[in-house]
Amino acid sequence: MSMKVVITGIGGISAAGANLAETLEAFRNGRRNAGPVSLFPTTLPYPVFEARAGSIPPRWERKGMRTLSLALSALEEALADAGLRVEEDLSPLRVGICLGTTVASQLNDIEFYRSYRDRGSAPMDAVDRYLKGNLAQAISSTLKVRGPALTVVNACSSGTDAIGAALSWLRSGICDVAIAGGADELNRVPLCGFGALGIVSETLCRPFDRDRGGLNLGEGAGILILETESVARRRGVAPALFMAGYGSACDAYHLTAPRPDGTGLEAALARALAEAGAAPSDVSFINAHGTATQDNDRIEGRVLAGVFGPDVKFLSTKGFTGHTLGAAGGLEAVFTAAALREGWIPACAGFVHPDEEIGVRPVTEITSVRGPLAVSTSLAFGGNNAALVIARAEDGGTWRSRSCTLRE
Amino acid sequence: MYIAGIGLVFARGRGIDSLGEALCDGWKPPSEQGCACSGKKLNLAYRVEQEVLTGSAVLRKIRRADRFSKMAVLAACDACGDSGISFTGRESSLGIIVATTFGPHATTFRFLDDVLDYNDADVSPTIFSHSVHNAAASYIASVLDCRGPTLTITQFAFPFQHGLLLARAWLDEGRCDHVLVGTVDECGTAMEYICGSKLRIAEDGKIRPFDFSSSPSAVPGEGSVFFLLTRKESHKKYCRISEVSLGGESIAQDRPNICIFGADGMAGDESTYRHAAPPYTTLAGYAPLFGSMMTGDGFHCAAAALMLEKQMRYANPVQDNPHDMNLCTMTEEAHMEDIHCIRIDCLHEKAVVRLKR
Repeated sequence: MSMKVVITGIGGISAAGANLAETLEAFRNGRRNAGPVSLFPTTLPYPVFEARAGSIPPRWERKGMRTLSLALSALEEALADAGLRVEEDLSPLRVGICLGTTVASQLNDIEFYRSYRDRGSAPMDAVDRYLKGNLAQAISSTLKVRGPALTVVNACSSGTDAIGAALSWLRSGICDVAIAGGADELNRVPLCGFGALGIVSETLCRPFDRDRGGLNLGEGAGILILETESVARRRGVAPALFMAGYGSACDAYHLTAPRPDGTGLEAALARALAEAGAAPSDVSFINAHGTATQDNDRIEGRVLAGVFGPDVKFLSTKGFTGHTLGAAGGLEAVFTAAALREGWIPACAGFVHPDEEIGVRPVTEITSVRGPLAVSTSLAFGGNNAALVIARAEDGGTWRSRSCTLRE
Repeated sequence: MYIAGIGLVFARGRGIDSLGEALCDGWKPPSEQGCACSGKKLNLAYRVEQEVLTGSAVLRKIRRADRFSKMAVLAACDACGDSGISFTGRESSLGIIVATTFGPHATTFRFLDDVLDYNDADVSPTIFSHSVHNAAASYIASVLDCRGPTLTITQFAFPFQHGLLLARAWLDEGRCDHVLVGTVDECGTAMEYICGSKLRIAEDGKIRPFDFSSSPSAVPGEGSVFFLLTRKESHKKYCRISEVSLGGESIAQDRPNICIFGADGMAGDESTYRHAAPPYTTLAGYAPLFGSMMTGDGFHCAAAALMLEKQMRYANPVQDNPHDMNLCTMTEEAHMEDIHCIRIDCLHEKAVVRLKR
């Protein structure tokens, strides 16, 4: 039987809110805070979901390192939620940092490159920021903790895969506590790239809708504090949520397009459910990847219908946050955990018309959820498919899997 | 976990045999690029020859891939080929972990060329999709039809060692039966400029691993190395990776046959290496063969695995020894049971990978 891993803290920042309370308020009111790009000059007309000005506390502003600033903001909330003080509580423990990103991993400073290209030389400020901005290392250095620090760059599933890697660390005894999730800033380079791929919408995104026209880019950070159950109980925390399973499978099909039959996502879901010792019928809702692109939503929707049945309750929260790339898996795991804790999920913002090709429709109103398990999915460039199973503690502050297929 | 196969691409060729030959042949000067007549210094680097990246049947399947992905695909496929293990019918039993420091930065800069030269709406989607860090892992998975977990990680501190740690966790959990763990980094012209600005480049092209200098010299390198790791001892071809220690955590203190130092001028002050190995241990450092890379530890582990398999030890390619350390100076047969590969980062944190016969 594998070790149980507890979620003791969550924090998130995005266009939907500077913290979870604001975010849930936006979810409840159906408020979609999108607008034109303000963070950089561009000729592209796409609406985007930027974190509101002033939502990053000044103490966490890092000049030229917006991804890190977003991550530090979410981290502060998650640590506070977990009741963990950095010096007093974290320093005696082995603390792993495992975070996903896309933008922070690339040296894509346009002015640096323009100078190098035009003059054969360039100031090194951008390089210095890049070298100091490796997400996991920068967080590890800020907290001054000891333990592994890993930055996952699996494109749009980075956040989910980072949480999965942290789960593996905890189960293997590599660390006692893990700070996991993802962060990404809105950046001109991916906006141009996704635009060139023809998958960005000029209107607000409509996940799983018949008339969906593509994704909107966003930014944010979603961080979870994961602990082994014994460490959590030792410091007096009664577990309320568990990270019960993670599955990942590669399509081995195409660099940018998902495998049409959806078998990669099916395999990831099967693995995650098996780790959780759960059957599809145990799952009360799914926070889907739901980018609002034609391919993703068609394939993902069909897989969810096939695995969980025609009455599956699911939604995409990207209608509130946009597609936050490397942050998406972290934010959506945070939202999934929060929904289990709160007992409700919001309407799938942007969805209006069912798509016959998909066959199932997301929830269209605030919906109560009572079951103990929920799933969050991510699909990504490179053919990555990833799924997390999050469990709410049942009576007695524990959660029992019905079976365990993991090998010792 | 056991090493069942190794594949690599570096300045001296492709395949584990090419590493064996380089270890026997010793140091050769790096390549030079640029025009001396312009008055600028020539860029020294250990570059992968273009002919290594052409002609292979594997590469015909990935014609649109960039140089970064091609290096990774060749090394990964060669590691599987070297193992003799077939994954047909059990495609989900194989996982992939790709560790890189800088990712496909040359392609990123090509995309920035598009952004600068054209309108934001007129950039190339193909170049963009190849600039994503996990493009190499995607190509490896496609070529090998790998349906297991696939992860790309990027680090400035111990990327390869983090990959090994996670691979061991995956194997322990039963997430997969085999994991292809490897590194890939390339040396494009913009990166050479950055290296020239941030590092002290060795003017004679020699990395000196045993200078233990507070301002060491580097020569940028590039390449890819992959290991097929397995839990099954029956699949062992080279050796066992018995321990991976990060950040000063303790590792068994008994003296190994050889300590291989990762000192290559990339992490600044290297004075800490002087006391990084147990006293009187024989020391080696092979970075002068493949160049300075934060992912260079993969090559050192490949050298260690080769020594354990062949029961050989290889002379240091550069034997400057100002501190009178116990260096490996001869290539000869030797009883080899235990090798430590040691890397110290710019914060003086130490990582050790221990390989046992």
